[in-house]
Parts: sequence; structure tokens; C-alpha cells
Amino acid sequence: MTNTEKTEMPTFAEVAVKVRAGQRLTAEDGLALFETPDFLGLGALANEVRERRHGDRTYYNRNVRLETTNVCVANCRFCSFAKLETGMPGAVTMTVAQAIETLKAKTANTAPPTEVHVVNGLNPDLPFTYYEELLRALAEHMPTASRKCFTAVEIHYFARRYELTPRQVLERLQAAGLQSLPGGGAEIFHPEVRTRICDDKATAEEWLAVHREAHALGMFTNATMLYGHVETYAHRVDHLLRLRAQQDQSIAGGKARFLAFIPLAFHPDGNGMRQLPGTTGIDDLRTLAVSRLMLDNFDHIKAYWVSSTPKVAQIGLSFGADDVDGTIVSETIYTAASKKAPEGLLEEDLVRLIREAGRIPVERDTVYNVLKEHPRAALEGAFKVRDRRQGKHLQILGEAE
Amino acid sequence: MSVEKSLEKPRVRIAGVGYLNAAPLLFGLDRDPDVELFLGSPAEVTRRLAEGEADVALVPVAGAASIGDLAFLDLGIVARGPVRSVVVVAEKPLEEIEELALDASSRTSAILARIELSARRQGKPLRFKAMPPSEAIASVKGLTGALVIGDPAIDLAERFPFALDLGAAFRERTGLPFVFAAWAGRREAFTPELVERLREAARVGLVARDTLADRYAEARGEDPQRTRDYLHSSIHYAIGPAEKSGLVRFFDDAAKAGLLPETDLASSWIETGPRASGPEGTAPPSVDDLLERVMDGGRLSAAQALRIYREADLFALGIAADHVRKKKARAGSSDVVTYIVDRNVNYTNVCTTSCRFCAFYRPVGHEEGYVLSREVLGEKLQEVVDAGGVQILLQGGLNPELRIEWYEDLFRWIKATYGLGLHGLSPEEILHIAQLEELPVATVLTRLRAAGLDSVPGGGAEILVDRVRRVIAKAKCTSDEWLGVMRTAHHLGFRSSATMMYGTVDTAEERVLHLLKLRELQDETGGFTAFFCWDFQYEKGTRIHAGDHGTQLYLRTQALARLVLDNVDHVGSSWVTQGPGVGQLALRFGADDWGSVMFEENVVSSAGTTFRMNAEMIERQVHAAGFRVARRNVRYDHLTEPA
Ligand code: SF4
Ligand code: SF4
Repeated sequence: MTNTEKTEMPTFAEVAVKVRAGQRLTAEDGLALFETPDFLGLGALANEVRERRHGDRTYYNRNVRLETTNVCVANCRFCSFAKLETGMPGAVTMTVAQAIETLKAKTANTAPPTEVHVVNGLNPDLPFTYYEELLRALAEHMPTASRKCFTAVEIHYFARRYELTPRQVLERLQAAGLQSLPGGGAEIFHPEVRTRICDDKATAEEWLAVHREAHALGMFTNATMLYGHVETYAHRVDHLLRLRAQQDQSIAGGKARFLAFIPLAFHPDGNGMRQLPGTTGIDDLRTLAVSRLMLDNFDHIKAYWVSSTPKVAQIGLSFGADDVDGTIVSETIYTAASKKAPEGLLEEDLVRLIREAGRIPVERDTVYNVLKEHPRAALEGAFKVRDRRQGKHLQILGEAE
Repeated sequence: MSVEKSLEKPRVRIAGVGYLNAAPLLFGLDRDPDVELFLGSPAEVTRRLAEGEADVALVPVAGAASIGDLAFLDLGIVARGPVRSVVVVAEKPLEEIEELALDASSRTSAILARIELSARRQGKPLRFKAMPPSEAIASVKGLTGALVIGDPAIDLAERFPFALDLGAAFRERTGLPFVFAAWAGRREAFTPELVERLREAARVGLVARDTLADRYAEARGEDPQRTRDYLHSSIHYAIGPAEKSGLVRFFDDAAKAGLLPETDLASSWIETGPRASGPEGTAPPSVDDLLERVMDGGRLSAAQALRIYREADLFALGIAADHVRKKKARAGSSDVVTYIVDRNVNYTNVCTTSCRFCAFYRPVGHEEGYVLSREVLGEKLQEVVDAGGVQILLQGGLNPELRIEWYEDLFRWIKATYGLGLHGLSPEEILHIAQLEELPVATVLTRLRAAGLDSVPGGGAEILVDRVRRVIAKAKCTSDEWLGVMRTAHHLGFRSSATMMYGTVDTAEERVLHLLKLRELQDETGGFTAFFCWDFQYEKGTRIHAGDHGTQLYLRTQALARLVLDNVDHVGSSWVTQGPGVGQLALRFGADDWGSVMFEENVVSSAGTTFRMNAEMIERQVHAAGFRVARRNVRYDHLTEPA
């Protein structure tokens, strides 16, 4: 009885006590959460933290995605989107004018989106001014949409390619109209994994440094993690801890910080890792829940419906997530990796998805200013959406039409 | 012209059991212009009260307990000793019989019979077999006894060597009177005027007992004196302190045996006049208490189930369902999830029913209508055999061109050529064949079994509440017809699954009532192997709007079903409609079965849901959820060692 091992993994109950006491979790705690068989207990705990922070409020935005070039020098093994050279069949690089045209076509039938989200391949054949012009054109043609463009991997690549420092790149892009950064390109930070799946793009330190600089320049950014391929739970925990440490620093800097963390499930179709099985629903939910519990200094955890399917994202709102991302008019990265992901959800679909989960839909802008708080649906018990029931819900189509 | 509007007062809807012994309590209500009186069987009266078609009802107490949260008036049908109309009869001593044929018309008496017999048999097991009243008496032979109820039972005791009057039996064992039925309803329904109206009916009715008895006897050519005696000395109508204690005792005994929900009567009595002093009654149990009770094996009433459905925390509900799943698992298998390699074959899409939620069917004569040829069918079946499949699930539309011989030939051919298990024809289709051929359902089932039918799928149940069925599937069979086909099939020895499709115009209450109807039939027959539910898949081609939906609701509904259906062994996850992610999660919300490897499923996939999975993918999903996996057959026997 005196030999009780101090280094043993904590039990789930012990971690839960720490969470409820507001204590910070360690790497061992994180591992214990990933490995606990008490899956429903884990969900309940994450839900508790989520409700403490946000109550039933659940965020979405109306955004439009744009990829202006899929030419890429990198060779990420999980990527089904790019890895093309200019001139190869399927390689597309839009001119700025084409990009604006595409954007206009995409949004022709929708209310003007509040955010345009641009992510590209690492294209060696474009001048830096292309990106500056693109940003200026976006500002001119879609002034109401905030510009969330270029992952840290792209910023890092621009610095190398155009012989600038990351800070100079960010300053010039900010001057051209860049307002925030998406969270892509983080993948898994740990070098044991990173060297295996994407050894020729920004390292963990480089990725984090770009965000650090962006925060110092007053730009809010986001963070992701691509999980479910060759990494272990320990690698996921390590990833979360690195983000948490950077967020501590950024918060201390007092200017800007990470807004949301978005776990992205690896999809095996159409890429160099198609022999892997991909994630399952329970793993997706577990990852959301552990992220919510570990990232005590992140305001938002996002259940990205494109990656996990709308149904799993919906239940994710009970497993720690408080955001479902946007309406996303067209998204090609995940759709290239899977035929199953739907291309876009209408705002009313997202609002319904949130309400059916028993939550209050809140439309936000890129930096989480509230644009519209929907009334709480008069629920039948925990879940019934009565306003639909009173409206045309009870009508039967055959008779109404 | 009169400016006064004639305000039409809604009539109070009263339901009562149409037996002689209830007549004194119902006296004059049929002629009261403010009352809409319905008389029916105990089951029908209970259903009306449960589904809100009656405001108050003279209901059997078991029905009232199953509904739950009702208020009771202190007037009912009481036995203070021998009751004569509820008896168990046999040719051999009751301690020796092995089987009891139950007149299925009264659950209260059936439960009382189980309790009294088991108290007298020191736990010696007894098989129960539910059947229509007329057949119950006829099946008494050797070691098979029968419970007979109501008017057919009066004086039956004298005709058999061994008999037990259950009113007397209860009195003897507990020293208390037994309440068979009482006025019950929602508390708000018992307005002072209504209470007075019911008391007045009883006052007059008791005085008129002789008249009632004479009329009854005359109509049946029986001895009026015996009928008078019955109404005067066998049946009593006032529920006083002793009767209340008797009811508490009965509810306790039944809850302990898992036959009825725990029922707290302390605050359920309608007090009239000066309010009785004394304790106010205990506070109603919290939702967490209720969950704890079910986890301990307690039975839920409809009211309790509804509270859990609406109020319980999602995770608390999941944990309770997970716990019950483990408890229901056979020894050593609490971490095993099963699946079956079978194929859903839709032999025809021609259907006369035109359900609004169905995108699959084509009307008779439509150019896209089909009946699968033997060649096409053969190819499909060969694929099943090649994939190691064990059965086919054969379902189709209600095609008036296919006669029973067509099915018989088909079944014989399938059996002879492929040797696959034949899980086929939902109750709707069986009923359709019976109507087409003008044959009794039992005959159709017997013939189809002889041709090779092994088991019956539980499709077409939708929501077993006729209000819903009339809206979504006007031409479909009624709830009672659906349950009736299942009852017959179970009595003939078929096993079947049970299903629920919700998410059209159904309410939470109606979904709960659906589960209760399945549970009641299962109490009777034990023929359901598993329960599956899913939400209506709204898509082009369907002609009804989607109602209550969502992943949370799916998981809540499935978990609730696991808690309510305490007498059904298995619950299946509906990954075909929910997607593999939610299907997997469902294994933590009470499901212990992954359903089928899917080759095709036309009724769902025409509506746009096209998830497919092979055995390897299923096993991976199950393993990733932390379970072992085994293949099964239609009876849920493991065909492979769980791994
Ligand atoms: S993930 Fe990004 S950087 Fe990697 S190959 Fe694909 S487009 Fe290029
Ligand atoms: S659900 Fe069945 S009965 Fe109804 S229309 Fe479709 S095929 Fe016919």
C-alpha cells in the first residue's frame, strides 16, 4: 500500500473533479480523457463546461469559401485537394478578376455573406502582389464580408517564397485588407507525425509563430487539428497543449488571440492515405469533448459539419461544441476527399440543426460579434420546434399544393 | 333576431367498461345530454383515456397505472371476497398446472392471476399464453388452466374440478378488498360538476341494481336472481380506506414483479367536501429517481416515460439505457453487439396504399411499377448466399395482382434453391393478403409458414396511434389491426421485430403510447425479439412535412424505448437512416444490435438515404465503440464467437 504509483494515469473521476474546480488539466489528464471507457461521462463533463461558458447559445455564420489556386508545391499525404503543378490537368489558378466573378456567382442567390474565407495551395508561380490584389478586390467587391484568408502554412510559404519575414507578409496583407486568419495547416504538430504526413511545409513552431505575429498585429485567428490518421492520443494531447500554451502567451500580449478551435476528422478517400480507415462518430465526439476540456483558454469549439456530417455535428453540440461553422457556399477541400459531404447548408438548415439540438442559434461575424440572436424555439419538452409545428408544418404537401 | 350566441358547451367524454358489473356506476350517463359516453372492452377504454379521447374513464386499475399520473375518484368496482367474474379454472390442482391460458381482455385480472398463482406455487414456473376469451375456456385440458374474465366467467367455477376466485384469493392472502376498476382521469378533468355527476349516477345506479340485473338476465335468458345476487353481494362500489390499502398492496406486488410501474397513490385521490387532513402525500419522484428505478428493473408508466423523454438530461438518459442494455444481455455478452448478414429485397413497388411518407411505391398500372422476376431475384439471393448471408428480408407494396399462391410458390422456390431464412411480409402485407383472399389472418400465416416463412418483420408500425396513421397513411391498417396480426403471428410461434417511425405529425405523447402498446402486446405474447426506431426521411417524393427530428431526439427516443420496453430483449441502432456516426453512438444509448449488412433498402433509399456498409466496416464501427461483435440470426442467436 505504500507503493502506490504517483505517475499512474488519473481516473476519469479525478479529472472531473479538477474540471469542476476550474483547475488546469495536464497531459496525463488529457490522455486519461481520451482513453476513458466512460464515454457518456466524458460527454456530460464537456457539456457542463460548454453550458457554463455559453449556455444554450450556439454560433454560426454566413460565409463563402473560395479556393483561387489548387496548384501546390507541398506534398501532404492526406491532401485530396491540391498537389498539382501549373498546367497539369485539373490544375486551376484564377486571375483576380475570375476569382471575383466566381465569388459573385456563388453568392448570387444568397444574402451577402459576412465572411469570405480563402484557402489556397502553395503556388510557386504567382507573384506576391496577386494576394494583395485579391484582398483589395475582395474589399472592393464584397465590402460587407470580412476577409479571413490564408492559413499560417501559406503565410509561412509566402515569407520563404518572396524572401520576407512572416511579420512583413502579414503587415503587407493586413494593409491590403486581410482581417483574420483561418486555422488550417496545423494538422498534428508533433514532429513524429508531422514528418510523416507533411514534411515539407511549416513546422509546428513556424505555424505557431505566424499566429503569434498575427495576434501581435491585432488579427484574430483560429486553430485546427487534423486527427484520425497515423497519430496517437498522446500526439493529439500534445497538439492541444501547444495551442493552449500559445494562447496563454497571446492573451498576455493583450492584442488578439485564437477564437475557435476546430478539430478536423481525416477523410481517407482520394488521397495518399486512403489505406487508412478514417475516424468514427464516437472518435469525433470524443475529440470534441476532450478539446473543450483541455483548451480552457479558448472561447469556442467548433463542430465543423462539413467534416463530420451534419448529424454528427448536431450531436456535437451536446459534446462540447458551441459553433457549427457557416453556411459555406461551396467547399471543395472536403468534397474532394469524400463524396458524402454536402456542398452547402442554407441558413435555415443551420438554424434548424441548432434548434433541434435544443440550443439557441446565434448568427455571428468572423470575430464573434453577435449579428442576430434567434428567439429560443418554443420547444416541446427538450426538443420540439413548435414554431414549425404551428406554421405549415401540419399541412400536408399533397393538400397544400 | 336573437343576439345571444348559443354557446355550445363541449360535452364531457366518458368511457367505461361495458360489463354488467360496471352498469350501476354508469347509470343514466348514456342519456345525459352533456355527456358523450363510450362503452367498450377494458383495453379500448384504457386506450381512449391514454390517447386523450376520453376525459375520465371507469378503467381497470392496471391500465390506469400504465398511463400514470392520474387522479382517482373513490368509486369503482370492488371485490371484498369472491367476485365470481374473475376465476382461474383447471382440470388439475392449480399448484400442478404448467400453463395458463389468459383471457387477454383484462390486464388487471391477468396480473392478479400471475401474482396470486405465483404466491401459491412457491415460485414454480408457469407459462402464460394469451388468447381470445372464447378460446381460453376451450383450452383447459390436462396441465393447462385458464383465466376467464367478465360475464362468461360467472358461475364457471362450478363446471371445473379446480378453480380459484381471484377476488377471494386476494382477500385471503392480504386481508384486503380488491379494486378492479375505478374512475380515473387527469386531475383537471374532475371538475366538481363532473364528480357530482358521477356520484349521482352511482347513487341512482346502485338503487337500480335489480332492474339492471333483470334486464341483463332477460336478454340472455339467465336466472335473474343469480344476476341480482352477483350485483348485490359480489361487487361493491365504494372505495374506502381498506380498498385504498388493497390497491396500494396490489400496485406494490405488481411493481415488484415488474408487471406494472411503481404507482404512488397517496395524493391521487380526488377529495370532495372538506379536504381530508393528514399528510399531503409525498412529492412526485424526480426524473433522476425515475431513471434510478428503471435501472433497478422498475417499470415505467406512460406519464413517467413522457417526463423522462422530455426532461431527462441526454447523458443521464443514455447512461440509464446503457445500464439496462447491459442488464438485458445474456450472461457473458454484455459487451457484445450483433449484426446480421441479410438483404432487404422489395419484391414489388406496386402499392394501393399511397402513404404520404413513402417515395418508393407506384400505383397499380404505373409504368415504373415492377414485380421482381425470378431471374433478378435469383441474382440478388445468390449474392446473399455468396456473401455468407443467412436470410432475406422480403417486403413489398400491397400489390392486388399477387395472390397467396404467388407467395407460396415464391417461398418454396427460395427455400429449395437458396436455403435462406425468410423474414418477410410486414403485418400490413399479411392483412392485405388475408383481405384479398378472404381468409383469416391465422390461415394466411399458417399457409405461408408451410411454404417457408420463418419470421415476420415489424415494418409498417409507424406510430401505433390512429390519429397519426390517419394523417400519414390513411389507407393503412389501424393500430389494432397491426397489433392483431402480430398477436396472431406470435401465437402461431412466429418471432418478429417491432419498429417505430416517428417525426411526421406525431407528438412525444404518441411516441410513448406507441411504446406502451408494444410493451403490452409483448407482455401477452413475448414474440418481439427486438425494437428499431428511426425518424421519417423527408425527401422528394414524400408528401408530408417533417415533424420532430434531430440527432438528439433520435438518441433520446431510442434510449427511452430501451427503458420502456423492459420485456423486449434487443434494441437495434438504425444506422441506415442516421448514418454510421450516429449509428455507432446509438450503441451507447441502449442499442445492442447494428442491424443488417445492407445490400439495398428501397423504401428508405428512394427517399435519399443511401448509407451502405459491408461486414468489415460494421465490425470496425462496433470495435471502435468499445464492443465485441458477433453475427446473429433472426432469433439473435450468435452465429460467430464474439470477437
Ligand atoms: S494540404 Fe495544403 S499545403 Fe498540403 S498539399 Fe494540400 S493544398 Fe498543399
Ligand atoms: S409505405 Fe408500404 S404500404 Fe405505404 S405506400 Fe409505401 S409501399 Fe405502400
